[in-house]
Amino acid sequence: MGTINQYALYTLLVMVAVTTFYSCESRMDEPHPDKKKTVALIVRMKHGDYWRTVKLGAEMAAKEYDLNLNFYAPDYEEDSQSQMELVRQATLDGYDALVVAPSDDRVLQEAIGLTKSRVPIITLDAEGQLPEVNSYIGTDNYDMGKKACEKMIQLIGKKGHIALVGTGRSSANAMSREKGVRDVIAQDKQVELVPVDYVQLDKKLIGELTRELIRHNPGVKGIIALDASTSIGVAEEVEKMGLQSSIKIVAIDSPPEVLEYLQEGGISATIIQKPFSMGYLGVKYALDASEGKQVPGRVDTGTKVIDRENMFWSENQKLLFPFVK
Amino acid sequence: MKKLLFGVVDAIKAKSIQFIITTSFTLVTVLVVLFVGVMLYSKFSETAEQNAYLNTQQILEQVKYNLDSYLNGTTQIFELVDDKIRRSQGVSSEKLNEQLEAIVETRKDIVSIAVFSRKGELLMGTPAKPMRKNSKLTEQSWFQSAIDDPNNLSFSLPHIQNLFKGEYTWVVSMSRGITIKGAEEDIPAVLLVDVNFKEIDDLCQRVGLGKKGYVYIIDLVGNIVYHPQQQLIFVGLKNENRSLPLKYSYGSYVDDAEGDKRLITIKTVDQLGWKIIGVSYMDEIVTTKNEISRFIFWLLIFVIVIVLFVLSYISAKISRPIKMLERSMERVEQGDFTVNEPIRGSQEVEQLSLRFQLMMEKVRELMNQIILEQEAKRKSELEVLQAQIHPHFLYNTLNSVVRMVGIGKNEDVITTITSLSKLFRISLSRGKSIITVQEELEHVRHYLIIQKMRYKQKFEYEIEAQDEVLTCKTLKLLLQPIVENAIYHGIEHMADPGFIRISASMCEGKVLFQVRDNGLGMSPHVREQVLEGSYKSEGGSGVGIHNVHERIRLSFGEGYGLNIESELEVGTVVKVWIPCQHDEGQEG
Repeated sequence: MGTINQYALYTLLVMVAVTTFYSCESRMDEPHPDKKKTVALIVRMKHGDYWRTVKLGAEMAAKEYDLNLNFYAPDYEEDSQSQMELVRQATLDGYDALVVAPSDDRVLQEAIGLTKSRVPIITLDAEGQLPEVNSYIGTDNYDMGKKACEKMIQLIGKKGHIALVGTGRSSANAMSREKGVRDVIAQDKQVELVPVDYVQLDKKLIGELTRELIRHNPGVKGIIALDASTSIGVAEEVEKMGLQSSIKIVAIDSPPEVLEYLQEGGISATIIQKPFSMGYLGVKYALDASEGKQVPGRVDTGTKVIDRENMFWSENQKLLFPFVK
Repeated sequence: MKKLLFGVVDAIKAKSIQFIITTSFTLVTVLVVLFVGVMLYSKFSETAEQNAYLNTQQILEQVKYNLDSYLNGTTQIFELVDDKIRRSQGVSSEKLNEQLEAIVETRKDIVSIAVFSRKGELLMGTPAKPMRKNSKLTEQSWFQSAIDDPNNLSFSLPHIQNLFKGEYTWVVSMSRGITIKGAEEDIPAVLLVDVNFKEIDDLCQRVGLGKKGYVYIIDLVGNIVYHPQQQLIFVGLKNENRSLPLKYSYGSYVDDAEGDKRLITIKTVDQLGWKIIGVSYMDEIVTTKNEISRFIFWLLIFVIVIVLFVLSYISAKISRPIKMLERSMERVEQGDFTVNEPIRGSQEVEQLSLRFQLMMEKVRELMNQIILEQEAKRKSELEVLQAQIHPHFLYNTLNSVVRMVGIGKNEDVITTITSLSKLFRISLSRGKSIITVQEELEHVRHYLIIQKMRYKQKFEYEIEAQDEVLTCKTLKLLLQPIVENAIYHGIEHMADPGFIRISASMCEGKVLFQVRDNGLGMSPHVREQVLEGSYKSEGGSGVGIHNVHERIRLSFGEGYGLNIESELEVGTVVKVWIPCQHDEGQEG
């Protein structure tokens, strides 16, 4: 009788073990909170089609590679103080890789300082390499300047004065673009560059600068704007002065205002970047780097010259109008 | 627990029952589980794959249905607008404008309604917004199709509506040629209804095929109508192989051109010929398979552990009584015959234990018997030895010697004393109880010499033996009591001279001694008593024939012993049978 009881006890034990095993198994299978990697993306501004497109690309990559994307952006561009704040916040939230479009070097220094040595950092849109940065993904700004200048020379008939306007003198991107423009002009004896001017990022100031520039250089045939905000300001002022037919404008980027001017004739051409690719590749390489894979140190996402002729070509529509509203 | 563990370790060391049971059962169980696992795995994974296929098919069917009904809805709106324009008096009528505005108001997805002349002039537009410059509307596909095929409603690919000032919106343009009433005659014109693409975009975006899978739409010639990764395709980061889906209007196939294995499922929207293509990633389908295989793996490990655990317990349970039995036998082997505890266990083991106990009882019994027999043997041997130094015999012999000395028969004295000395030497023979037949015969000869002296030649004797029996082994002092008996009972009281004849020979492989006398003989009654040992004679050593008979039987078994033939007044023959055993050369 004792033996039978023992066997019964053993059977019971086995059954308990089986149940435990099963319940463990099912509990283990439910959520996997630690498996997904987290990538923090810090850009320069919450609004604006440019940064929204970056975010769209990043989200696409996040979906494709199944990772968590934490998105941070200040309310205004060039607000490095709040961006540094966001870098700290992102560090508190935790990430396996950081993708940042720094407003200036201080932000980047802050990010490098806060990031643990093994965590990769990838910069977007801002040139200026530091050894701590794994990869730069963005536009070749020098090439962009060259393309803008070449287009301008073509527009003005290879002869005449060109002005260069920009905001943010300290920005490395603007300097590279300016260098690109200058290098093209240097090769062409018939085209001259009137003094380059920089102003603060302020619509009124840009307008005033443009007015001054045209008054002092009445022969100017074209204005190259070095960034999106400048482009809009310059186009508005030229339109106000009623000179859209005589002064060609080559802009940078494709905010809706620029596109409007492009179709209506206020702006002759714009050099667009590929923010979607930046966001997408930024997250993709961030993931690769966090997994210890080799990533290229510099990725040029490319630029495209858009004018009235090709702006509604179907392959350009998606680049210029990324959102279905 | 500890005992169990040691049991397992012990079991592995030797090929014990426990080890055999555990390993074979584990092996069988593992094989069975493996077999069932593999069967289940293949069945499950097949079902999982099948389900994935079906699932994708159903989802696409749903998308197709939604798209169809949405397009039907917009077509109806188009027909409604067309109808309203047809019925109204010219496009500039107030009433028509109101009606169309009402339609645009209620249908949020209608971006604009416009009528253009064949030259591209705007004849009417709702909502009323100024036209943009540089829109190149006559070059746009919707305008072209309406001109080329004015009777059929055409749907354009999604594109940016750039006709009117305001926001740039993604739209799908529906267009058809119409005729409107002019001042004098009907004017051919183009009716355009722009539908916001967002509806279709949302519809497709909501569809998920697994985590990574998606749905895209191409038109008849392979242009992308909708693709969630259209941006990536335009910048060249991605490529979608559109040539195969173009060939089929429905069905599914597996495509691994992009590195990942992808299940491509195709459905065609009847109305427009658009193809809805579902892309699901096989590795997500395979995840189910991996999960199953992982589950089976753990199940296997778990089963092995449990089976090992249970089996080592059960096998220990089975083998323990056998081990106990073995230990009992070992004790017996080492000479401990007191083993007596019953062993509990399986029926077979219990039976075995019982038999073993019975056997042990028998052994004990036999051993007791042997002890008794040995004791008896020893006693009878001792008796014989005692008989040798029987004072009566010594007294009589020495008396005869004295008498012979008295009458000066020195020769006889020497003979007698010599024989006596030889007699004793052989009797003692250094304590051995086994001597050769030759020695035995020698012994009896000396005995007869002495007795012959004593009885003053009252009898004659003769000893003869075959050569081959001389070296055989025999018990000591077998013949003396018989000869003694013959002298005391057969010849002593006889008037005529007596004769004793002793012979030793081989007979049927045994050694046969015969002591024959021509004495008085004995009655059958006495003969029986002599053999049984109950006959009490007055004279003699008192050892008697019975003792001889008894010793032979104790030493050699029931098949040997004495055999008496006797006839009154004629004589007696005593036959002594012993086995023929040769000395192995151990005689020191």
